[in-house]
Amino acid sequence: MSDLAAPPIARTALSFPGPRRTVDGWEVTARHATGGLRLGDLGPLVKLTVRGPADGSVRTALGASFGRTARPRGGPLAGALVVGSGPGEWLVLGAPGTGGGLLAGVSSVVADSGEFASVVDVTHGRALMRLTGGDVPLLLSKVCAIDLADRVVPNGSAFRSSVARIVTDVVRDDLSADAGGTRSYLLHCERSSGQYLADSLVDAGIEYGIEVGTAAVDPI
Amino acid sequence: MTRPATRRATGGENRLGARPGEVIDRSRTIEFRWNGVTHTAHPGDTIASALAAAGVRMFARSYKYHRPRGLLTADIFDPGAILQVGDEPNVRAAHRLVEPGMDVRSQNTWPSLRYDVKAVNQLAGRFLATGFYYKTFIKPERLWPTYEKVLRQFVHAGEVSPDSEQPYFDKRYAHPDVLVAGGGPAGLAAAIAAAKAGASVMLVEQEHQLGGHLRWGDADDLRLRDELVAAAEAAANIEILTDSVVAARYDDNWMAVVQRGLPHVAERLIKARAGTLVVAAGLIERPYVFAGNDLPGVMLSTGVRRLLNLYAVRPGRRAVVFTANPEGDAAAADLRAAGVDVVEVDARHGRTVVRATGRGGVEAVELSDGSRIECDLLVTAIGWTAPTSLLNMSGANPVYRPDAARFVPDPAATPDGVLAVGGIAGDGSRDELVVHATAAGTEAAARALALAASRPAIGGTAAPARDAVAVPQLGLRHHPELFFALPTGGFVDMSEDVSAKDILTAVKEGYDSSELVKRYTTATMGPAQGKLETVNTVALVAHATGKTIAETGATTWRPMYTPITLGALAGRKFEPVRHSPMQPWHEARKATPLIAGQWIRPEHYGDPAAEVRNVRAGVGIIDVTPIGKLDLQGPDVPKLLNLLYVNKWSKLGIGRVRYGVMCAEDGVVLDDGVTGRLAEFHYLMSTTSSGAGTVWEWAENWLQTEHPEWQVHVTPVTTAFASINVAGPRSRELLSRLTDVDLDNAAFGYMNVRTGTIAGVDNCVLWRIGFTGELSYELHVPASYGLHVWETLMSTGADLGIAPFGVEAQRILRLEKGHFIVGQDTDGLTKAYSAGLDRAVKLDKSDFVGKPELAWQAARGEHPKLVGLRPLDTSMVPEEASQIISDGGYIVGRITSSRMSPTLGHPICLGQVDAHLADPGTRLTVRLRNGSDTTVEVTAEHAHFDPEGERQRV
Repeated sequence: MSDLAAPPIARTALSFPGPRRTVDGWEVTARHATGGLRLGDLGPLVKLTVRGPADGSVRTALGASFGRTARPRGGPLAGALVVGSGPGEWLVLGAPGTGGGLLAGVSSVVADSGEFASVVDVTHGRALMRLTGGDVPLLLSKVCAIDLADRVVPNGSAFRSSVARIVTDVVRDDLSADAGGTRSYLLHCERSSGQYLADSLVDAGIEYGIEVGTAAVDPI
Repeated sequence: MTRPATRRATGGENRLGARPGEVIDRSRTIEFRWNGVTHTAHPGDTIASALAAAGVRMFARSYKYHRPRGLLTADIFDPGAILQVGDEPNVRAAHRLVEPGMDVRSQNTWPSLRYDVKAVNQLAGRFLATGFYYKTFIKPERLWPTYEKVLRQFVHAGEVSPDSEQPYFDKRYAHPDVLVAGGGPAGLAAAIAAAKAGASVMLVEQEHQLGGHLRWGDADDLRLRDELVAAAEAAANIEILTDSVVAARYDDNWMAVVQRGLPHVAERLIKARAGTLVVAAGLIERPYVFAGNDLPGVMLSTGVRRLLNLYAVRPGRRAVVFTANPEGDAAAADLRAAGVDVVEVDARHGRTVVRATGRGGVEAVELSDGSRIECDLLVTAIGWTAPTSLLNMSGANPVYRPDAARFVPDPAATPDGVLAVGGIAGDGSRDELVVHATAAGTEAAARALALAASRPAIGGTAAPARDAVAVPQLGLRHHPELFFALPTGGFVDMSEDVSAKDILTAVKEGYDSSELVKRYTTATMGPAQGKLETVNTVALVAHATGKTIAETGATTWRPMYTPITLGALAGRKFEPVRHSPMQPWHEARKATPLIAGQWIRPEHYGDPAAEVRNVRAGVGIIDVTPIGKLDLQGPDVPKLLNLLYVNKWSKLGIGRVRYGVMCAEDGVVLDDGVTGRLAEFHYLMSTTSSGAGTVWEWAENWLQTEHPEWQVHVTPVTTAFASINVAGPRSRELLSRLTDVDLDNAAFGYMNVRTGTIAGVDNCVLWRIGFTGELSYELHVPASYGLHVWETLMSTGADLGIAPFGVEAQRILRLEKGHFIVGQDTDGLTKAYSAGLDRAVKLDKSDFVGKPELAWQAARGEHPKLVGLRPLDTSMVPEEASQIISDGGYIVGRITSSRMSPTLGHPICLGQVDAHLADPGTRLTVRLRNGSDTTVEVTAEHAHFDPEGERQRV
């Protein structure tokens, strides 16, 4: 039972067997992956959805058009990953614990646009995971019908599709060249389906030696 | 089943010395059982090759007549070698590789393969007439199930035990630029060329090895095979699939590829979307139709060469080779080289075979000149069938060329995205075929890449398409037309036991087209799916009708190209489930799970009635996370609410909550829930659990198609919050220990909403609403903290007697209170007034969805009505969906909800009844499932408990 005096513990949508640890108020798996194919839980990341005109000042301010991503280097969104997740819809991801600041930053950017736009914090309402490894396209080809060839889904692109029958935002976000340039994808779905999606990915990845956990080189 | 003691095979050794192209690993020997007798094989052997090496000639009994059957093609199409392997029936034994310990059996033979009593069917052959199934056992119809059982006893098919372990089937998507169907020399050359041109290529070969007919050819053939295979394997952008088949081609080059031989799964269905399809299916050798053509020992020349050169098996000792082409000549040469005594009968010089005779196998052959030759092997090489299935599926029906004695593709009818190479496209020398395929492969890549360039990448722009370049045609080699030796005839379809006589009889009976004959006789409908039978069938129909083969035309080849398992089609099973953040707690308490849509919810924790009583007397909590939640933002939200709900929303104050009902355009109740106003332009809407997705799409549909000018954003946040309903007279006392929100009734009254902190968790939403009829608060907690808050409530409320309650208790509580459930107490015809929503519907609003229909319903006033019902017999509960009948036996309504009330101690119901029977006090008859009747009385209110609502407003 919880202790009232203790700070509340946040739990992500994903739960895997093995040790767990608490980081920044979030209970996460303590497993580290060292293999070439790994599934990491990025549930603690701040997640904001932004709605606005598909091709107006909000888009310009956020820096990502539909189907593309951006990593602003300065301004209130510095350090965040902006994903053009739908027509007139964006997903902004930030490091754990940056929720208040990022929400304020995005809200100010949106307000300055002069357009009708809205921001909703869905940090707790979505599951977010990262699949990394050269065999990820093969793994995903077992659960997703989209062609993941470079010319169709290059690094820095995003799409929404069915993954194992779950509506999922898939974001290609390869590791940096310094980290090996390995293929990497973020998968983002509503929270209650997160465990099922993760289990489906692990099941599909068994033949490629998938591991659960993150490696030191994996970014947010 | 008890098996006989294992015996070991002796004698009959037909294994030859090492062959240049053999695919067996002689360094290892493995054992398997064949009809209870232990045999040996080498890795790489098929079941059939291993048995043939051991001298086995008879592998199976035929479909109808149980005639002995042996190897014909020695590949996957062989109709004479379909066997049972362990629990797996209908295994193509001439394709399936031997594995150690395999238990292989002949199918449906008794008492043994050699002495099968069902072979008596041959004597009854006169009664197994053409169109047997259409003429026999028709009447009386009621006996058909019996006939079916009897007939099944005679069918040549294996057994599937219900206890068999179910294998795992997989699915995968692929998007190659070029898909090459067939890994022979032409397919290999096309794949290599396409890859060199920059295309991604999927190369699919049905056999276990690449190389096609080069594998059993001469030294030059093997050298070319090695070169092509090495080049293909070295190409990084060629994905090679062996033991796989392109089973179907659909529009826009959507291909079904079945991949076998995988380590982790039984089979994998690949849904491949290719830019260009290259059909390199080769040619399939066509059997000759003559008396005795199904005897063991009658083989095709390609089958003989497979046995000789791939598996080093001598198929006979003394052979007659009936040849009309160089491939037959090569078979004769190979046989001689293997020490077989060979007599050639050259059809090009006018000699033909008319009959093979023998008991259990070929013993002699009779020729057209009347001569007779004793032998144990008859090899035929009389022509080819072009397996044009994938071209047919592309809309390109082949045309018959009498000079080549086969159907060939019509390039003019072939779509741009499909090319044919190799023998299926025409004839040529080895080099000519490779050159042609190379050109076609290059062109296939160019077309695919141009198509890809015309489709933009995500966030990119499209490149202009290029013009296609024509691929030169191959010529055709002259080949004599040889199909059958009448009048003696023989079997046309060895899978289905359809004879030449059957075909001729069918035509005489009026079935004078290929399509009709096919269906009437079942020719071409067996496991070989026409690969071996189609052309001979067409030739016989043409002969019987006096038409040419071209005029007669082939039957339509549809998917699948070859039989595939239902498991492969079913593929990977995806069954999404949804969990709330508190699911681990429920599981730990062994809550009985309830599957509600995709959600897994606790139905109860052991005693739903006790859970109800605890809520009425103290405090309980329930996990209601699945309740739909939509975040609404924008100045025009009231307009949207007024449009979607039947009641009014313009004056909802900040912090206030209102109940609303949505109807479709036809006035039928779509969903209900409450919406609260959190800030000036910020609302939170709740929907039913099952209606969350529907309502979101409903709102977006109206916004995007009818009112794009409205400034409203709808964001689904159902799972952003863990939802907990705290219900019972002590709920305020419990919650006051954990929140900074003022819970006093004056500050936070019924139908209000607040935001605040609960158990240390910020940004929670508290609703003063209730479905249970008790003082209750619905807590929406940021989902990641749901388990924390739940556990804190449980620990903090221990002294108050807190207990969780599940969905069943909630349903009882709401029924006591008289709240209806959309979809339970309403159906697809229930309009708002029928649901008792008279006071909610505001026809004086300028407009809302469903208003015209509801205005019409209100004016007519004849609609059924939802009413509370109390059974007079307090000892039993009428089942839900029980019909309510009038004195005349007419159905006048039904019970929509019913439970025994733990609070009241008697059964309670809701039901829909005709309007004239809805007055309070009316007594109605309910017809129960067991046929008996019981009486219920209409109550004054829907609510059976606290109809004034005093308990929830305190």
